Amino acid sequence: MTSTTLPAPAAVPATASAARAFAAKRRRTLLVGLVVFAGMAALPYLVRDVYLQNVLILTVMYAALSQSWNILGGYCGQISLGHALYFGLGAYFTSVLFVTYGVVPWGGMLAGGLASAGVALLLGWPCFRLAGHYFSIATIVIAEIGLLLVHNWDFVGGAMGIQWPFNPDSWWTLQFARDKVPYFHFALGLFVAVWFVTYLIEDSRWGYWWRAVKDDAQAAESLGVEVFRSKMAAAAVSAFFTAIGGGFYAAYVSYIDPESVMSFRFSLLFALPAVLGGIGTLWGALVGAAILIPLTEISRSYLGGTGSGLDLILYGLLVMLVALARPEGVLSLFKRTRTARNQEAAP
Amino acid sequence: MIRRRDLLVGGAGALALAGAGLRPARAADEVVVGVLYAMSGASAQVGVDARHAIETALDIVNADHALDLPLAKGTGLPGLGGAKIRLVFADHQADPQKGRAEAERLITQDKVAALVGCYQSAVSNTVSATAERYGVPFVCADSSSPSLHRRNLKFFFRPAAHDEMFSAAMFDFLDAQRAKGQTIGSVALFFEDTIYGVDSANVQRKLAGERGYKVVADIKYKTNSPSLTAEVQQLKTANADVLLPTSYTTDAILLTKTMAELGYKPKSMLAQAAGFAEKVTYDTVGDKLQGLISRGSFSLDLAAKRPSVGAVNALYKARAARDLNDNSSRQFMALLVLADAVNRAGSTDGQKIRAALSATDIPGAQTIMPWKRVAFGPDGQNTEADPVLLQWVGDKFVTVFPDSAAVAPALWPMKA
Repeated sequence: MTSTTLPAPAAVPATASAARAFAAKRRRTLLVGLVVFAGMAALPYLVRDVYLQNVLILTVMYAALSQSWNILGGYCGQISLGHALYFGLGAYFTSVLFVTYGVVPWGGMLAGGLASAGVALLLGWPCFRLAGHYFSIATIVIAEIGLLLVHNWDFVGGAMGIQWPFNPDSWWTLQFARDKVPYFHFALGLFVAVWFVTYLIEDSRWGYWWRAVKDDAQAAESLGVEVFRSKMAAAAVSAFFTAIGGGFYAAYVSYIDPESVMSFRFSLLFALPAVLGGIGTLWGALVGAAILIPLTEISRSYLGGTGSGLDLILYGLLVMLVALARPEGVLSLFKRTRTARNQEAAP
Repeated sequence: MIRRRDLLVGGAGALALAGAGLRPARAADEVVVGVLYAMSGASAQVGVDARHAIETALDIVNADHALDLPLAKGTGLPGLGGAKIRLVFADHQADPQKGRAEAERLITQDKVAALVGCYQSAVSNTVSATAERYGVPFVCADSSSPSLHRRNLKFFFRPAAHDEMFSAAMFDFLDAQRAKGQTIGSVALFFEDTIYGVDSANVQRKLAGERGYKVVADIKYKTNSPSLTAEVQQLKTANADVLLPTSYTTDAILLTKTMAELGYKPKSMLAQAAGFAEKVTYDTVGDKLQGLISRGSFSLDLAAKRPSVGAVNALYKARAARDLNDNSSRQFMALLVLADAVNRAGSTDGQKIRAALSATDIPGAQTIMPWKRVAFGPDGQNTEADPVLLQWVGDKFVTVFPDSAAVAPALWPMKA
């Protein structure tokens, strides 16, 4: 935009103007982000119904979790189907520390996040030696082992789960009996944090390395990219934010048991929005979650009570449609029209 | 672009809501009750059966039936000028988070006067916590985890027995057999590794110690194991007077088959329902389980003691094409107990219904259950919900304990 208003100096090399255009595009993205997030922060004041507020909270929470998954799965190309493990770690750290030791959830989330990042590094050591499908399978198996361990570990409640005590409304303990707005703002804050980290990574050395690893690990290595360390770093960042999301979920629902925070469906739910919206993009996870979560929640609520399974049929149809029509995700629809527009304008 | 989409989604939702609000205005002659079950997913069958059972109870309340049950005669709730009950069903998919969200929706959008549910104990946990926060009574029909009524909730009520009451009944029965001159000195625990199995074994171990039964085998096994050969060898070596299995269907069948293969005939078996209450288990290995005794909440032969059982079962069967069982009988009773309280409260106000529920006193004869009475303690648990023990004889279950519900004496030891 700025380049059109300036007199185009013919002497400037093409790379410099490209760099300027890129920097302008980055600034634009940041500005759009700020406007979008400010608008979103006002949403719960427009939607006063607690049920719909709950849908909004879940949407933003899954957007944040899917964006966390996207850091490893989308940018670095390592498809993990075991992120429920990190989610569960965050939920359990937060719950055990709060219920048993009285540590406020903020501390529990941070501890859970750091522990998850540590676990991701430990698991990455053997697992990142596996490529492609083998890596994905390993992540599924490890998450299932985690689920079994928690199931049989009495200290963390075993199969009985952990019940959060009733507490007066407070930001400190993250407990609000009826008010949903604070939960929405926490979830939005988490999403903004993950989004911003992703934004920073996109234009950092790590970001370029990760995308190189995703495109072709061998070629990247031959150019000096440290493939193994790239994967490890992406896994740690991704696990950290996933665990914070898990801690938030525990505080929000106020009760956790192994199945309700560590079952395999969570691993899928973290991957789906990003895949649906556009994998490896800044906005894909949010777009995917904004379509997927309201659709599943509202269809279950208003059609699920009949027992006909119509809500699940709708869900399956949508995923199939996107997979068939736009395998790159919903965002690619807009991308293509913009490219087409530019091409028309070019000559 | 995204902003617009979010607005659209929010707007569409808001419109849907506005539409919901425009449904025929709820007159004072209607009491809305929310019902939460898993209507889809792995345990959808339970939810579908629950729907039929609760709709059967609804019909008994709303229409005129010549039965000795609360509110059967006449139509609707006389305490509210003949108001009818309307049910709103919600699907929680066995997920505590979804249960919580659906409970909130039923309370704030459908303005339900009370909630009934939820089968899975984990879901009943979050639903009852939500009900508590909004001051809406929750009648727990069929979740049997003892932890549920120990949370100091004011709006939680459970007419049916919890797991510890079931285990206590099993040991009461063993004591009774001893009093009749049987020598029962040792028991063997055999349980699966979930909340259900572990909880059951913990209580049984404690009761065995208290009442002087020696635990000669204490075996936890992995649910859905491919083989139980090693475990059965241990059971055979211990050869306890009574084998106490806690297993779901596939494991119950595998256990029975493995015992037959290894030539182990337990002297007697006293089972914690689940797999040993399932029809499919007896279709498969019923011949090897002759004389097995299982605990239960309900039995069709109660018709001999509770005259309404036959008629209610016929009404239910017309809807569900199957007989009432442990779960559906409890779901049926949950709505009747609630309707009785709403009627006495003469109001749809949560506090008033809660007070009426606390004052509930329904004699056992006016239920379809073996219960002595329905009367809630301060924790919301009905302490007089006696379980029954059923013995598999020939090709059907016979109620053998307690004496107030028994139709035949127990055959002891079992003759497999």
